[in-house]
Amino acid sequence: MGKLSKLFIALSALCFAAPAFAQGGGGSEVNWVAIAAGFSMAFASGICGLAQGKATASAAESLARNPAARPGIQLALILGLALIESLALYTLVIIFVKVK
Amino acid sequence: MADPIPAETDPVRAAEAERFYSGAMERVRRLMVALCLLLSAAAWWRFGPRAAGGFVFGCVIAFVNFHWLKRAIGGFADRASGAETRQSGQGIVAQFLLRYVLMALGAYAILTVSPASLNGLLAGLFLPVAAIACEAFYEVYAALARGV
Repeated sequence: MGKLSKLFIALSALCFAAPAFAQGGGGSEVNWVAIAAGFSMAFASGICGLAQGKATASAAESLARNPAARPGIQLALILGLALIESLALYTLVIIFVKVK
Repeated sequence: MADPIPAETDPVRAAEAERFYSGAMERVRRLMVALCLLLSAAAWWRFGPRAAGGFVFGCVIAFVNFHWLKRAIGGFADRASGAETRQSGQGIVAQFLLRYVLMALGAYAILTVSPASLNGLLAGLFLPVAAIACEAFYEVYAALARGV
């Protein structure tokens, strides 16, 4: 197992550990909005990451097959990645609006 | 009456279309500057100087972010197509990830200095999307009106 995999496993374990520290005292209500915000940001980031990876892989394959088509592929990749990133930003903005 | 020659078979029109579409990135860059100036003036007038300041700050972050994205993809395309490149692979990845650090630092700075400007900052981060949407409308217009 690579170092990076171990690091990600440790980080995900820490994510689960954080709410345990927050559970102190009795009768406090669970802040579902914050939990939902965390999950939605995680989903948005993960899916945007997958989409960016897919776009980049397709662009790399296309460039390797046909280097002469580079300007068009590069333009489409830049615009595509900018738009995919903006989807994660939309989620961030919605979280700020709802959690504030 | 004979049909006009389709753009893809007419070399003159094909060259014109290629010239038009190759200028898309430069047009997006100019649109980002124009939209930043226009919308920050509108934000100043409608929401006050704090929101306008946050918006300009967000626009600057978005502009730098887009510029670095373009450079990172240029380096990536060089490597993918086997062309000569000055950037190392690690440099390209570092630059790609550094963009997120820049955005996080900007958000942290605005949160600590002026939380009232946060909405403006978040709006400013969408500058590339607005510029790309404007470019898309312009390309549709050019395709319909000029046939490129």
